[in-house]
Amino acid sequence: MTHQINLEAEIQRLLTEDDRISEQGITVQRRENLVVLGGEVESAQRRDEICRQVTTRFPEIEITCDIGITRAQAPSEVEEIS
Amino acid sequence: MIRIAAVGDVHVDKDVVGRYRPALEQLPDRADALLVAGDLTRHGTVEEAGCFAKEFGGLAVPVVVVLGNHDHQSDLQDDVAKVLTDAGITVLECSATVLEIKGHRLGVAGAKGFGGGFAGACASNFGEREMKDFVGTTEDISARLGEALRSVECDALVALTHYSPVPETLVGEPLEIYPFLGCYQLGQAIDSAPTALALHGHAHHGSERGRTPGGVPVRNVAHPVIKQAYNVYQLLSDAVDMELAHA
Repeated sequence: MTHQINLEAEIQRLLTEDDRISEQGITVQRRENLVVLGGEVESAQRRDEICRQVTTRFPEIEITCDIGITRAQAPSEVEEIS
Repeated sequence: MIRIAAVGDVHVDKDVVGRYRPALEQLPDRADALLVAGDLTRHGTVEEAGCFAKEFGGLAVPVVVVLGNHDHQSDLQDDVAKVLTDAGITVLECSATVLEIKGHRLGVAGAKGFGGGFAGACASNFGEREMKDFVGTTEDISARLGEALRSVECDALVALTHYSPVPETLVGEPLEIYPFLGCYQLGQAIDSAPTALALHGHAHHGSERGRTPGGVPVRNVAHPVIKQAYNVYQLLSDAVDMELAHA
């Protein structure tokens, strides 16, 4: 159990502290034999770099990358504040 | 009626330049000003600030921003602010500006803010020097945001921060990290003035809507929360009109 908790913490810190990533909004969830990375980033390059760095650092762990790219279309509605 | 567009946490670097621009070019038809709630860049470098200025500058509406924690990562926040200011973008840090819009005065007071937690589970200014420095920063920024808010004379007042002033807009984030996402003192500052709307970012997995203890509407406009280039909020409504002018 301790190893599992440390693994998630180490991945979380890699995601934030590695200058090639610097993401604080990525979730790390453990399945039985799998670690799932979730959340959204601003570009496909950033998503691919996250997967590359995490799988390189933890080659013994099966990693699945469910990270999406945040859409950037103009809105179609306005909210009235009252 | 005033319409303001808002987004936060856009984390611009060269790989993002061009993504927002098509939606931003439509801004003059949709809103009177754009407010950006911090984390403009990834690492707070001058180069990234230049990318943000290229993407979000030169618009036909005024752009007002605060910096976020990412914009402090390289300890170059003053240089980042200068790049933005030189590009015609207004950068607020415990300060305020007034925009003249269609005969109305829109006041915007902004600050990055800081963590510290919320009522019932907050950090205290006590113990080790590091802890007192942490909470002291929370208290100082919040107090100066309050002063900035109370200094503005306007028809509609908006508070712009990166960190959250309430826990409601953090729902979806792990409870354990709330103290790193905002503090109740920002909410107190917002409630100390006749604030019409409070905007923040930072909480990528948070929720969109909340209210301060004093009843001020709060919106988390972090890009992964709103999932579009910006949201549009209408203030000083003279008629209920939920349709965009050119929708």
